[in-house]
Formats: sequence, C-alpha cells, structure tokens
Amino acid sequence: MDTQLASSPSPYLLTKEQILQMLSEVPAGFMKPTVPPSPAPPPFKKLGVLVDADDIIDAKEATSNRSSNNNNYINSTQSYLCAECRRTLPTAHLLDLHIAEQHDFYFAASVERGDKPMFACYLEECGSKFHTPRQRKDHCITAHKFPVNYRFDQDHGHGKTKHKKNDESSMEVDELPAAGRKGVPYIKAFCFGHNTMRTFNTRKERQSGDTLEDVQDMKNALEDILD
Amino acid sequence: MNSPPLPSRTEDSMLRLKIRSYAKEQRQVLRTSATDALRFGLGQIWNEISELENLSAKDVSGLAARIKRRKHATAEDMYRLSHAFLQGNENINTFAGIPGAMQVLVKELSGANIQRQIDAAECFCNLSLGDAHVSEKIAALAGSYLVTYLDGKEQRLKRSCLWTLANILETCTKAAKTLLQMQLVPKLWKLYTAPPDDLNKFQTDAGTCLRLIATHSGGLVSDLDRGYIVEHLEEMSLEAQGSEYFMYILFQLEIVHAKRELSVQQAESLVNFFVGSLDSSWSAIYGVRVMVNLLANGESQLLGCLAAPEQFLAVLNRLFALRNANLNCDLLRLLKNYLSLNLVDSNLLLEQLKVYA
Repeated sequence: MDTQLASSPSPYLLTKEQILQMLSEVPAGFMKPTVPPSPAPPPFKKLGVLVDADDIIDAKEATSNRSSNNNNYINSTQSYLCAECRRTLPTAHLLDLHIAEQHDFYFAASVERGDKPMFACYLEECGSKFHTPRQRKDHCITAHKFPVNYRFDQDHGHGKTKHKKNDESSMEVDELPAAGRKGVPYIKAFCFGHNTMRTFNTRKERQSGDTLEDVQDMKNALEDILD
Repeated sequence: MNSPPLPSRTEDSMLRLKIRSYAKEQRQVLRTSATDALRFGLGQIWNEISELENLSAKDVSGLAARIKRRKHATAEDMYRLSHAFLQGNENINTFAGIPGAMQVLVKELSGANIQRQIDAAECFCNLSLGDAHVSEKIAALAGSYLVTYLDGKEQRLKRSCLWTLANILETCTKAAKTLLQMQLVPKLWKLYTAPPDDLNKFQTDAGTCLRLIATHSGGLVSDLDRGYIVEHLEEMSLEAQGSEYFMYILFQLEIVHAKRELSVQQAESLVNFFVGSLDSSWSAIYGVRVMVNLLANGESQLLGCLAAPEQFLAVLNRLFALRNANLNCDLLRLLKNYLSLNLVDSNLLLEQLKVYA
C-alpha cells in the first residue's frame, strides 16, 4: 500500500511531460547579467561617520603627554618603519620598494647595469616594472590616475632631504675642518656671504679706526649741544 | 548496573568549540552594531542629536579659509568640518567649491601623523555624502591614498577609507572608473577573502564595496581584475561575513564565462560554496545563475560533487521546494544545461524530480 502511495503522483507536483514542456521553452547556455540587476540586492544607504569630540580631546591629551619617542613608537606600530632611515610608510609594499631603492647596493648595481627594469609600480597588484623612476611615475599618473605629487613617491622624500642639504651648504659658515666631518658640524661664526679672509688686512684696521674717530666726534658734538 | 555512558572528551571539546565560536560571533555582531551606531545619513544627525552646533555654509567658508591660510587643518577644524558635512548638502557643496580647501585635507590624509590621517579620512567620509561632482573630486585628489591605506595596519583608518569608497562607488560612475584604475578591485578582494579574525574584520565593508562595483560599474572592471578574482576564487569561505554577496559579485562581473578558463579546484570550490549556501535568500538565485554558466561550459570535470546525479537531484529538489517563481526559471535552465552534458539518463532524472505547480 505504501508503495502505491509513493508511486501515485501528487496533485501539486508537475509530471515528467509537463517538465519537458517547460524545458522546451527555456533557453540553454550562458546567462548574462542584467542592468539593473534582478532581483536587486538589499539597498545601500550612504552613511557618514559621527566623530566623537571625546576622541579628539583624548588624542590631544595623548599627544601632549607623549614624548616624541613614544609618538614614533605608536606611528611605527600602526605603519611600516624603515630601520635604516626611520621613514614611515603606510604599506609593506611601499616599504619594500623604499628599502630596495634607497638602501640596497645590489639593487643600485642592477639599475646601473640597466639590463632589466627594476623599479616596480607603487601598486602591488599591478606588477609592472620600469627602467627609471621617471617612467614609473609617468605610468602611475597615466595608468593609475595617481596625483603628480604622490606623497609616497620614493624620490619625493629623497629629493626633499637633498634639497635641505643643499640649503644648508648654500649658507656659508666658518667651520673647523676636522670637526665638520664628524657628527655635528662646529660652527664658529656666521659670515652671511662674506668669507673671513685669513690674511693680514691693514685696510680693515684703518676703517675701524675711522669709525671710532667718528663716534668720538659725535660724542663731542652732543656734549657741545647739551652745554 | 550499567551507568549511562559519559560524554567523551571529543564531544566535550566540540561543545566548547561551538560555545567559543558562538561567543566570537556574538562579539562581532555587537562590535559591528556599536560601530554602526556612530554612522548617520545626510541630515539625519538633526533628528538624533538635540544639542547640535548649527554650522552654516558661512561657517564652512570660514573654516576652509582658515585651513587654507594655515596650510594645515587642526583636529578641531576637521571635527567641525565633519559635523558641518553631516548637517547638509549645502555645506558639502560650499566646501567642494572652494579651490584649494580639499587639498589641505588631502595633505592631512597623507601626512605623517596617524591621528590626523584618521580625522581627515572621517572628514572625507562625510564629504562623500555629497553629489557626484564632489565624489569625482575626492576620487581624483584623495583616491590614491584611500586605496593605498587599504593595505595599511591602522584599523580605524582602513574602515573609514572603506566607508568613503562605498559612498563614492554608490554615487558616481565616473569617480568609480578613476578608483578602478587604481587597482581597487584586487585590494578589495584581498580584504573580502581574508581569513576572519579579530584583526581582519573588514569582509562586510569590502563585500559592500565590491557589490556596489558589480551593480553600478561592472562593465568598467578590467579583464586583469577579473583574472585576479578567478585566481583567488578558492580563498572565499562560506562562513565569512558578507559571503551573501559572493555569488552576486561573481555573476554580475561575469567571472564564470566562456572565455575564461577555470581550473578543476576553482570550479570545485564554487560548487561547494553553492551547495553549502542553499537557502531562500536573494543570493540563492545568483548562486544558481553562476552554476548555470559553469554547466554551460560543457565540461563535466568542473562539476565537482554535482557530477553525481543523486547529489544534483537533491540540490534541485531542495531549491524547487522553496517555490520561488524567479528561482524556478533559473533552475529549469540549470537542469537543461545539465541534461545537455549527457551524464545521466534524462528520463530517470525527470521522474525523480519534484517540481511544484
């Protein structure tokens, strides 16, 4: 009896013929996505973020309490820090590029040889390599729509320090030759573009004498007026 | 007298594991709801906070002039700007219309101080509530940094960047095109398929961004990006948060396509995902459609466990039992593609199939 029940077709189920009929009306092959998609996914609502004033006060207090060393420590735990020059970079890939391009002699030698492109794109997923940093920069600007002054450009920081160095050396100072090469330069005096001449200069003495005489004359004149 | 058998050590540890996983899920849900409590739509802040400082377009102009003059924005400046942007579109348009003001925020976003980066990112998140022209400007000026920080370590910064990107992707296709050129899809996919742990809890946000790309700018996704998704198909887990978008993204981006070859392992992972996620949700339809395309390839070795007729039949019967008219059309197409592979006697299969009228 059970087998009879099982074999008898349910009124709610379609028969084989009905299914075959439906199958003949259905197209086969690939399905293409529709615009707009049907059924639509749950709607997305644009949301902003409410910044808590306490966060800002906390951050301010933390900054004032923290010494610069601690601040560096926190920055280094939340970003990637170069052990050689202490430059912080936001991603592991950018740090890799920085270490290779700024501190790796083998890399420098390979660039010098110039037989293969060495400068990898700033985007890890891109995988393109270039012979010069200039070519890479052009690629990033044209292909990836990066800004011209991309902050994490390897030349960006380097150029800045170079420029700084030039600025320092452009100001003429008297330095002790031995002390200037080791550690902090010993600055004897600022000369504002007029180098001290280490020779006998009689004219200077004469000039200084004249100035003193002028001062004496002025003093006498003032005393006369007061009298 | 025999005492009832004590639960074995393995049963104990299984129970403990279950409790732990449940507690972890609960923590995640609570954390997400706590974070989302701090999110508001444009103008919604007026209803939620009674003691609110009213910031008009004039105040925004003053703030913009101030940060431009100083060439940097303090935490307070960015806090006030963030609030002003939340209060109305007029404030957003005023700020976006002032030349050089957004560049100061970009400078803070790309600066060395992490707290300032976070403040600037939250400012951009609220700014992205504006119209399409504002989104375009953000994408052009700050897009490269927003995308770069997705690989960073700072959690709050990463989350703010994801929220900003989602707002932009929803608003403007042109801005989305700019972002897609910055390799946004692979970066999002990496976050989306990352193994879930306490440090990697960006699956839902990354999934939201990907599904917005699939909805509005699917045609702009490059072949290279699609290739990247194919290569990393197997990394998606069924238990991951945001997994309901997985099949939708794959279908809308035409990842399973005649021109794109899948390996047996990749196809198998897809089939396993499909079989494991049979439910009545909207995403089930997209799962069926992806399977339709997989079968349309005509290669039986890609079918994995579905190559066994009884398994295929069980899946079909379970889905037909949901009695969803939209789903049934796609299921019939799936059945037709399966029968065309000639893996089984069609009469035998049709006799055991339970399709409800």
